[in-house]
Amino acid sequence: MDKALFKQMAAEKIVLLDGATGTELHKRGIPKNTCPEQWVLEHPHVLKEIQGEYIKAGSDIIFACTFGVNRIKLKEFGLQDQVREMNRELVRISKEVAGTSCLVAGDLAPTGKFVEPFGDMKFDQLVDVYKEQVQGLLSGGVDLFVIETMIDLQETRAAVLAIKETCDLPVITSMTFDTSGKTLTASDPVTVLITLQSLGADAVGANCSTGPKDMLKVVELMLPYAKVPIMVKPNAGLPRLVDGNTVFDMGPEEFGKYAVDFVEKGVGLIGGCCGTTPLHIKSVRENLAGLKPAGRKFKPYQALTSTRKTVFFGDTYPVTVVGERINPTGKKQLSEELKNGKFTEVKRLAVEQVENGAEILDVNVGMPGIDEKKTMVKVVKLLSSVVESPLCLDSSSPDVLEAALRIYPGRALINSISAEKAKMQRMLPIARKYGAMFILLPLSDEGIPGQAQGRYEIIHNIISAAKAYGFETGDIVVDGLVMSVSSNQSTAEETLKVISYCTETIGCATILGLSNVSFGLPNRSYINSAFLAMGIGKGLSMAIANPSSEIIMAIKAACDVLTVRDKNSFAYISKYGEGNVVKPKIVEQKNLKTVDKIFQSVLEGDRENVVGLLQEALDEGTKPGGIIDGYLIPAITEVGNLYEEKKYFLPQLIQCAETMKTAFDYLAPFLAGERERSGKQIPVVVMATVKGDIHDIGKNIVALMLRNNGFTVHDLGKNVSAELIISKSKELKAQIIGLSALLTTTMVEMKTVVELARSEGLEVKIMIGGAVVNESYAEEIGADGYSKDAYNAVKLAKKLSCLK
Amino acid sequence: MKDLDVKYFEHIPVVPNRNLILIKLGYRKGITALSEKDNRFIDSEINRALLLCNARGAFCYCHINNHLTNKVVLENGIELNSEKLSSFLHNCNEVVLMASTLGREISDNIAEAIKNGNAASGLILDAVASQVADMALDWMVILINKIIKIKGKTLTKRRFSPGYGDLDLFNQKIIYDMLNLKKMDISITDKFMLEPEKSVIAIAGIEVLHG
Repeated sequence: MDKALFKQMAAEKIVLLDGATGTELHKRGIPKNTCPEQWVLEHPHVLKEIQGEYIKAGSDIIFACTFGVNRIKLKEFGLQDQVREMNRELVRISKEVAGTSCLVAGDLAPTGKFVEPFGDMKFDQLVDVYKEQVQGLLSGGVDLFVIETMIDLQETRAAVLAIKETCDLPVITSMTFDTSGKTLTASDPVTVLITLQSLGADAVGANCSTGPKDMLKVVELMLPYAKVPIMVKPNAGLPRLVDGNTVFDMGPEEFGKYAVDFVEKGVGLIGGCCGTTPLHIKSVRENLAGLKPAGRKFKPYQALTSTRKTVFFGDTYPVTVVGERINPTGKKQLSEELKNGKFTEVKRLAVEQVENGAEILDVNVGMPGIDEKKTMVKVVKLLSSVVESPLCLDSSSPDVLEAALRIYPGRALINSISAEKAKMQRMLPIARKYGAMFILLPLSDEGIPGQAQGRYEIIHNIISAAKAYGFETGDIVVDGLVMSVSSNQSTAEETLKVISYCTETIGCATILGLSNVSFGLPNRSYINSAFLAMGIGKGLSMAIANPSSEIIMAIKAACDVLTVRDKNSFAYISKYGEGNVVKPKIVEQKNLKTVDKIFQSVLEGDRENVVGLLQEALDEGTKPGGIIDGYLIPAITEVGNLYEEKKYFLPQLIQCAETMKTAFDYLAPFLAGERERSGKQIPVVVMATVKGDIHDIGKNIVALMLRNNGFTVHDLGKNVSAELIISKSKELKAQIIGLSALLTTTMVEMKTVVELARSEGLEVKIMIGGAVVNESYAEEIGADGYSKDAYNAVKLAKKLSCLK
Repeated sequence: MKDLDVKYFEHIPVVPNRNLILIKLGYRKGITALSEKDNRFIDSEINRALLLCNARGAFCYCHINNHLTNKVVLENGIELNSEKLSSFLHNCNEVVLMASTLGREISDNIAEAIKNGNAASGLILDAVASQVADMALDWMVILINKIIKIKGKTLTKRRFSPGYGDLDLFNQKIIYDMLNLKKMDISITDKFMLEPEKSVIAIAGIEVLHG
């Protein structure tokens, strides 16, 4: 059967599929923990009986019993080297039963592995796994393919590509949606539909997991956007476990009635999954007698998808901002990171742009000195997990774009395809194969036409070439081609003419790369936003822009209201309505003395300003010792009180301590000798996380707090042996040893330290802390004290060193 | 010994709960006062932490072959000696062993922040990372629950980890090997600690849903 015949069949009749095979095999005694397909090959009469009954019940298509006959699933039974033979034989059995009365679909299903970018399995490796199965199914003579019970969109893409790259037979794709209406990996029905039908699936649908009632809700979401027939194969209700057996409660009569609901909504292919029987299928057939496929109202759309989101755009939607920031040109940090294979800045830019209102992210990693293809693939994989926004893949290299499209788990936008002959011929089939939309750049091998008229001609040429590959106008976004007005002021008008022409005459979506227009001019955002407004006035659909620009986003929001794209001004009011705009808080200016401001800066953890204030106070003649004793120490004491009262929490306490440290460090040179002259002793503390333990954040915080309270702290780090702690303590004449441990396995090391200190007669106090130790443990091992946190550690250290 | 079918996830999408992070840091609603500056600082550090965390995970199913009062014997003969674990799994014939990690970048940044005198920043990064590591496990639990619900099964509501109760930390090494966590760039010290620090191992039981 070819694709056209399949299409015709689905247009003319409701196609009846078969019911469950698995639950029917169980009824007929298939043993648990056996390879079902191997068992079927050993007992072919059982499958023949089941499938024969389905055909008798009216099935137009039966599924070959090849659900788990891929290399990965068969490996569980040591049969991985029999993929082709088993598929061929299983198809042969079904073909024998089917004869000429019905079609046999080769059945592909999940491998049980999770594929990149989500999982660890390489995408191409998975495509090869499915290809091997497809070849086996073809050798058995399948009429078409079904990819069913899929839980992950990317795995489904791999299976579709495996079939597309092997043959031209029709492909039905079906995923499972739970009662929340999402697939296991959180794809919604519309996203699944748009991604798969763009990729070339000949029917899309849902099977298993839910009964007909919940499945109806799933397909109702798909139907308005379905260009291909929609398929359903619900379970006979939800499974229940009774006495160790899975039971499905919905009987044939009730199941059959749902079939009418499905068909009236517009479903074209219908069958049953777990728990359904030939009687269920017979009931469906009886209920559908005389019904024809419902004439569906298809809603033309322009849409891009990621695995978890669909973004619609066009003249009835608000103008879509494509975030332009993931592009190394002029971005030093991003360039450096990309060169070094790091992606923190990419993530930051992605998250920031989405937060600021970008719905799609342009990704361009082209720069000298890197492997663009490798980097692009890595970035695409990363962003597919980090953000839900669909991606616009931006490169001048067809190789880079192809690699990115292959791995991208949704429907991407290609930036861009022009009329440059070699590139266009290379890129159009690639774009079509992966179901991508593309930005049409109206330039050719001869260059960029200065006048709009010249660009119209190129636009028509590219559209015409694209249509030959099966593209529709709705798959294309025309770039008006923005040139700098600083070199030719009339160029903006020509670009706007292109937008107007595409909107009114061709009826396709349009895009502008805004920032080019203002190149070479001051205050570029004014020009960019004015140009955006003018473009929107001509019907612009999308703008490649920096969403962090408040003026651009505000103008866009306002234009969406004025062009009725923001219905009832809902988005505008949500963003700018009273109470929604964050107003800068007016800080009360107190007329404080400089020293009081120093006190305040410690209290507020204002490290940035404390040094300036100290300078000012010293200039005013205040003594350094006076600042410390009169303001800094009282301030940090007050901080401690606030912390004890829970009015401050840990980050505030630490920020104040850091401010205190900054102040101390600044004043230290002014104090040289002053402390010694005063006769005050500075206690020495040796801190360490004990041997075997690598968790030291708590110890580090204690060290910081102690320093800020006048202790001299020597931090030996983590995983420190008892011998080193004791020898250092001797060498540094420590009064206190502070030990930390996080785990029960390492806290015993504290005892070793205590015993060693005591056996060597070291006159030192030992304090301990950490998640698993407590007061009684401190007593048990002979330590001098325990502290639950950094603040109390300071109090304890003061007590142990006889300080106030 | 039969090889376990371990599934690995390269990028787990998690969005931490700001309130839980604040609570972990000692925030008390209605008592602790946060200024606008504090809030800005906290949000910026939370965002930074999220950029530095790459949550990855692994899990596998494993049958329980024998269930004694003081230990659980798994399908590959591995024994997990713990009365509490045995009691925790008393309704289960199967367990899920799982692990999550956030990679080295976040741990390096926490250490660096503290070393450079930005301890408050380090603390927030640390609190976010701890939550994200746990949430990555939560995410896997939700996913596994969806998978096994079809078979009429569910995961135990709580998780158990080596080092809790009487399940010796030594068992961390056993699960580390079973999940082949080296593949996820996790290493384990001779005291059975996981590196990078923000890596977690857990055990959950699989129970049958009745009715």
